[in-house]
Amino acid sequence: MLRITGGTVYDPANGVNGVVRDVCIADGRIVSDVEGGRTIDATGMIVFPGGVDVHTHVAGGALNFARGLVPENQRVARKFLHAPGRRGGIGGMTPTTFATGYLYAGMGWTTVNEAAVPILTAKHTHEELHDTPIVDKSCLLLMANNEIVLDLLEAGEVERARDVVGWLVWAAKVYGVKAVNPGGVAAWKWGKNASALHGPIEGYKTLTPATIISGLAGIVDDLGLPHPMHLHCNNLGNPGNVATTIETMKLLQGHRAHMAHLQFHAYGGDGWETMRSGAVEVAEAFDSHPNLTADAGAILFGDAVTITADGPWQHMLHQLTGRKWGNLDVENETGCGIVPYVYRDRHIVNAVQWAVGLELLLLTRDPWRMFLTTDHPNGGAFWRYPEIIQLLMDAEYRKEQVRKLPEAAQSRIVLGDIDREYSLYDVAIVTAAGPARALGLTQKGHLGVGADADVTIYPAKPAADGVLFSYPRYVLKAGEIVVEEGEIRAVTDGREFIVKPAFDDRIEEYLRPLFQKVYTISFENYPVEIERVRGASVVGVRS
Amino acid sequence: MGGKITCTLGEVKNRADFIVYWGGNPAECHPRHFTKYTLTQKGKFVPLGRKGRTMVLVDIRETPSAKAADIFLQIRPGKDFEVVTTLRALLKGQRIDPARVADTGLTLDQLQDLVDRMKRAKFGVIFFGMGLSMTRGKHMNSGAILTLAAELNAFTKFVCMPMRGHGNVTGADVVLRWTTGYPFGVNLSRGYPRFNPGEFSTVDLLVRGDNDAALILGADPGATMPQPGIDHLARIPTIVLDPKVTHTSRLARVHITTAVTGISAPGTAYRMDEIPLPLRPALTSPYPTDEEVIRRIRQAVARKPAWAPPAAVPTAS
Repeated sequence: MLRITGGTVYDPANGVNGVVRDVCIADGRIVSDVEGGRTIDATGMIVFPGGVDVHTHVAGGALNFARGLVPENQRVARKFLHAPGRRGGIGGMTPTTFATGYLYAGMGWTTVNEAAVPILTAKHTHEELHDTPIVDKSCLLLMANNEIVLDLLEAGEVERARDVVGWLVWAAKVYGVKAVNPGGVAAWKWGKNASALHGPIEGYKTLTPATIISGLAGIVDDLGLPHPMHLHCNNLGNPGNVATTIETMKLLQGHRAHMAHLQFHAYGGDGWETMRSGAVEVAEAFDSHPNLTADAGAILFGDAVTITADGPWQHMLHQLTGRKWGNLDVENETGCGIVPYVYRDRHIVNAVQWAVGLELLLLTRDPWRMFLTTDHPNGGAFWRYPEIIQLLMDAEYRKEQVRKLPEAAQSRIVLGDIDREYSLYDVAIVTAAGPARALGLTQKGHLGVGADADVTIYPAKPAADGVLFSYPRYVLKAGEIVVEEGEIRAVTDGREFIVKPAFDDRIEEYLRPLFQKVYTISFENYPVEIERVRGASVVGVRS
Repeated sequence: MGGKITCTLGEVKNRADFIVYWGGNPAECHPRHFTKYTLTQKGKFVPLGRKGRTMVLVDIRETPSAKAADIFLQIRPGKDFEVVTTLRALLKGQRIDPARVADTGLTLDQLQDLVDRMKRAKFGVIFFGMGLSMTRGKHMNSGAILTLAAELNAFTKFVCMPMRGHGNVTGADVVLRWTTGYPFGVNLSRGYPRFNPGEFSTVDLLVRGDNDAALILGADPGATMPQPGIDHLARIPTIVLDPKVTHTSRLARVHITTAVTGISAPGTAYRMDEIPLPLRPALTSPYPTDEEVIRRIRQAVARKPAWAPPAAVPTAS
């Protein structure tokens, strides 16, 4: 039992905006009152629900590939010394699993959503998530280039595709469905891409990205998954991709969907020479589609490692930068590409990208639909979120940064003209309440009675580095104090949220012979055993 | 230069029409590779199976694998780097002096033919073995062949994969990466992971005699390490966990017999393409599993007082 007293509470899901009140905790949950137990005096501090990351890459084959690819990054990264009850590790762009848990918790984030899992290597992802302590986890299955699903969509067999997707979601023990560059990764298996939404995909007669996008969004709605289809649009990173992004929004009419790392999909112009911010157009279109949520995928200047299932884009980036390139195509399902990258403030394209992420967060009107991410580690490491919050809360500081950009970049962005400043209430929405709601995690992101007791208490004044959110005074996970004054106090095991959608069991008879023909492992070894997902918590589907 | 362009083996089965094995003898060392993944299977986009695929073997001697190959290219020992580099130059249309190629054991025409075939492939793959990665040039050879595969992607789809062996070596590599950030050669003596192959890799530590104890699991260095390394293992307290008697167990101070993973103990093995496969035991064993032995050693170690003065030991709270 525990009482947090005297703190100024920001709990947007319950309409609490900066009210001094007690937060009471018993048995890992928020309760209305407690008798006895410890009291934390939070006078002069601010009390937030624990942060929720709606889109990050922290575990699994692709990230682990990246760790091996960049030993030079690990060498200069922050070190974590092992101690009784605490594992050693390395921070940086691609932290080790244990360090990932410590870094998220140390920042006040208590739930993370790993956004890209191939079915074939889902066992690996779950092993890594188990080794990621403290935080609760969920993960999303890569589906928009799964050839069994794509063949069914081409044949117009949507009913059967629905059962296949349902079976696969349960087989991989995941929480939701991700669509990456629909059709583009399948085309990449032949060294091609799918850039026209209504053009047939390489290797198919009639199937187009548009068919996959609306088909899959419909299937996810139909299955009643708590989180809608999580979409990485076609043409990521390309100048002029605004048109694709807006057209995709139209395709999603009538469905729920979450649009990931929108920053990478909001560029105007028609080439690198003319590339400019398309945030105004995208924000306007996004505001008029209340069926959608999105995350920013903002970038920060400095080191990053780009990791995505978008293989063709990564080949392009490798050719553009000459940096080392990793690529891993996963049979019949997906692929991944990795290119280390440095975002430079003197580089016009990078400067525009930096502005676009912030513009989207500031221009879209409803904070409940646009969330804070960097698409870690693509736009920058997740542990730099406090830097973005500072830019959102302080217009003067932000404009000062804009003025430092090259003049050519300043003429291609609108960030310098935006006066909006985030309030603490807004910050609590975009970092916790909003993403929790979009994920359909009803016990996360708020401090109402019955919620998980994941609470972050920040000092009301910035720490020594001048950034308000970088050093929480306390972080509580399931009612336990896990971080105090920047020190890990307790290392707990997080849970993993999974869903079991309803599907026709007979679909297995359809899948088995197909599987044996095109895969190289036995069908029995394909599904993830439930025992492998330690701390599994099955979330119900929507009715 | 640098990076790795690869895929899972099912991609090879379903798509590859051009397959190169370099510095390896899969017919004897990976006897199921041809039949399960690369050559004889009918693939989704290679309906003719073996007839739809071309196989090239590059090696220093004519092994039994050469019988399976459409083209066998015998190169001189230690010339892998020169051959790969010449292929990269030809790929970029550079002029090559035929005389300078002569000491590789191949002619310029043969190399030009190989490059042309690679570029014409719809989906090409290079598998490389220890005949490339562990001979003169070592990691430079691996870097060169991985770069060749990457550069071929400017023309067609091409991937590259090392032929890994020795049980679950890939699994060890995968787990070390997520726990320490590095695949092998990790030193934890400062309390956090450091990586320096050539300094911290097992063979270097043993040959220099840097370590004063050894715990050996799922390996038989007594059969494969250089003699000074083996001598050192015999000198220090060496503990071996192994289901059977090995060269290493014979020289070890302690040999703990364990159940055989995959036969009488469960577990997970990672295939060479990093796909995790569950191992389900068919039999029971009177012996403990590796995992159980390690867990009990850890528990016993945790009960012992710290070796360092208390003030030097970091604490959790």
